[in-house]
Amino acid sequence: MAQYLQRQIDDLKKRILTLSAVVEESFHQAIHSLEHMDTTLAQAVIERDTEVNEMEVDLEEECLKILALHQPVAIDLRFIVSVLKINNDLERISDLSVNIAQRTRGLAALKQGPIPFDLFAMAEKVESMLKKSLDSLVNLDTDLAREVCHLDDEVDAMHKDNYGLVKNQIRQHPEQLDALIEYLSLSRHLERIADLTTNIAEDVLYMVDGEIIRHTY
Amino acid sequence: MRLRFVWQILPAFFFLILLTLLLLTWLFARNLSNFYLEETAAGLEARARLAAFQITDSFALDHSGRLDELSIRLGKETGTRFTFILPSGAVLADSLEAPERMENHALRPEIAIALTGTIGQATRYSNTVHKNMMYVAIPVQNQDHLLGVVRAALPVTTIDQALGIVYRQIIVSGMVVMLIATLIGTYISRRISRPLEEMRRGAERFARGELTERLRVRGSEEIAALATAMNTTAYELDQRMRTVVRQHNEQEAVLASMVEGVLAVDTSERIIRINRAAAALIGVTPEEVKGRGIQEAIRKADLQRFVRRALSARDPVEGDIVLHGTEDLYLQAHGSPLRGESGQELGALIVLNDVTRLRRLENVRRDFVANVSHELKTPITAIKGFVETLQEGAIKDPDSATQFLDIMMRQADRLNDIIDDLLILARIEQDSDQGDLPLTEMSLINVIESAVQACASMAAEKQIHIEPFCPTTLKARINAPLLEQALVNLLTNAIKYSQQEGRILIEASRSDSTITISVRDWGCGIDKVHLPRLFERFYRADKARSRKLGGTGLGLAIVKHIAQAHGGEVTVTSSLGAGSTFSLQLPARTQQHQASLPSAVPTTPSTLPPAED
Repeated sequence: MAQYLQRQIDDLKKRILTLSAVVEESFHQAIHSLEHMDTTLAQAVIERDTEVNEMEVDLEEECLKILALHQPVAIDLRFIVSVLKINNDLERISDLSVNIAQRTRGLAALKQGPIPFDLFAMAEKVESMLKKSLDSLVNLDTDLAREVCHLDDEVDAMHKDNYGLVKNQIRQHPEQLDALIEYLSLSRHLERIADLTTNIAEDVLYMVDGEIIRHTY
Repeated sequence: MRLRFVWQILPAFFFLILLTLLLLTWLFARNLSNFYLEETAAGLEARARLAAFQITDSFALDHSGRLDELSIRLGKETGTRFTFILPSGAVLADSLEAPERMENHALRPEIAIALTGTIGQATRYSNTVHKNMMYVAIPVQNQDHLLGVVRAALPVTTIDQALGIVYRQIIVSGMVVMLIATLIGTYISRRISRPLEEMRRGAERFARGELTERLRVRGSEEIAALATAMNTTAYELDQRMRTVVRQHNEQEAVLASMVEGVLAVDTSERIIRINRAAAALIGVTPEEVKGRGIQEAIRKADLQRFVRRALSARDPVEGDIVLHGTEDLYLQAHGSPLRGESGQELGALIVLNDVTRLRRLENVRRDFVANVSHELKTPITAIKGFVETLQEGAIKDPDSATQFLDIMMRQADRLNDIIDDLLILARIEQDSDQGDLPLTEMSLINVIESAVQACASMAAEKQIHIEPFCPTTLKARINAPLLEQALVNLLTNAIKYSQQEGRILIEASRSDSTITISVRDWGCGIDKVHLPRLFERFYRADKARSRKLGGTGLGLAIVKHIAQAHGGEVTVTSSLGAGSTFSLQLPARTQQHQASLPSAVPTTPSTLPPAED
């Protein structure tokens, strides 16, 4: 019975890692589509969301099945609870990637002015956070997870600055208002994704240490 | 429990020795006591006969006093007990006991036999002397008349004593023999087991893989044969192991030196094998991912999807994979199922081909075809439009007809320019492909000056100042008309994208192995996303502006090809709003004498008469 549980947990791990790879790809492609104004790629990202949603539901059902069937304790229980939460976070990241891809489509139809802040530096930072949080999940690396938690502050600060920068630009060039609003929401999406990667990192810390460190950073 | 060899030999030894001793003791004791008893019986009979001879005359009740005395005397002197018994069984005299106290002896076995006229003999316990006694009774006869019986008796305890001594000696000597047997047994078992022990250690060494070790061949024939056989086994094993290791190494080497990435996964999607090329493509090291699940080790959704597809398919599959990273990699993947000897599924083998460069070239080609058609189409459409207008009657209006014809002329010129440029490109490519581009060693300063001159009128229009710097002695192996063309193209671009009254720097310098001619402007600059593709044919950073400024879109492609025809290359550094620098690097083949290299001499400033390029 214990062996059976272990097999199911391994399967769960495989699934969450597969999901994480797909979500990481989605995010990367969303940013890529934005950078190159590639609406076909954006469309692909938007369509991929259905796949992610299905994977999320399957994974959640699998978790609940294991909980009901085996009533696991200690590390197994923590693992399943963490997977449930990370699953949710990943699905949200996928949704936000879709939002970014939609912004790409919106922006492609607009006359664009210069971006008042360094959007791609921010995207790169968020992507590295996502990568690190997923690496920490794969290797159960608590140091890396803590690093992600700290990086979030930087992204939050960036987002705050962006607000002011966009506001200034709107005052100077009110005719670019539409594009600027899109940029502002992009900044917000990125900030939200950074928050979600922090959640993943915190869940990894919980899984390994069994300690809930949320709201302490 | 396993017994040591010595414990298997010794009990057998002991058992044999014990059995022998017991058998011998029994036989010896039996013979000895038989002999003794016979001797005793014969002695007793002789004594009884002697006594009977003496008393034959006086064997009667009335002589009992004398007989008693005689029996006591005889008894004392011979140590034998004599008893005289009447035929009735009444005891007449006895050496040890008063006759009147003795019961009737007629029923005693020896007496009963003697009374019948033969010699009776018996051995039994005597109540009188409380000992085991041997009795021999003989009848005393006088002319067939039975007078009585004489019985002689001796205690047989002496035989027991004698046997006791014998038994003790046998036990002692038996123990000595056992001791010796133990020593011999131990020695023999040692002799047998020591080579075995040695062989065991040797076999253990073989098991550890020390197959070059050999066992000493010695000891008995069987042991020696065993050692030889084991040595042969070790040799054969060693040879086979070496073959296996060599084959394995060969396979590893083949796999490792393949340009294609090879990745093998088992049915549970674990990585069994990954070669260096595949690891490099994916951005991992083979050691860190071997044995781990693919989801865990390689977080590339596209690759994971392909692996799943390859595992679930029965036949080989093919697909394109995009690996996202700092630079996106396009891979062509082939997957085929791995099968064991008996056809069972072991996993899948994925071969990855990096087609990023191919893909890029394909894009370039596609863009070229699209671009060249577009570029040729634009002037033709214009010309066609105006011709139609003229046909529809505009020809009758001289003013507009002239104007239209002018426009048509301009468009035709443009078409001509494009085709000229394409022809130049084709010729340079052809020449450099065939390697018959004539290169001559000549001074660079003349080339630079004539290029500046060619662009002077254009520069004058925008009041741009061109500053050439070139050491007068700097020479290179060049094709002067082509290099001039390249420089003119670069200068034209610099002039087009500079502001009014700007300045342009053209400078030649030499380092150890290269001569660099750079053209620098302080114009609008180029966005970094365009830099990698800038030298492609018809690639325009800003389409609208470039065409308005009258470029064919081939200028930089020509520059690149000219640089390549010289065995050099062209590079660009630029930042938006700050201007660009294009550098032509030509190889400096011969180490020439250059005394005045550092002194850059400004040549004539370009306020020369206008000329068309």
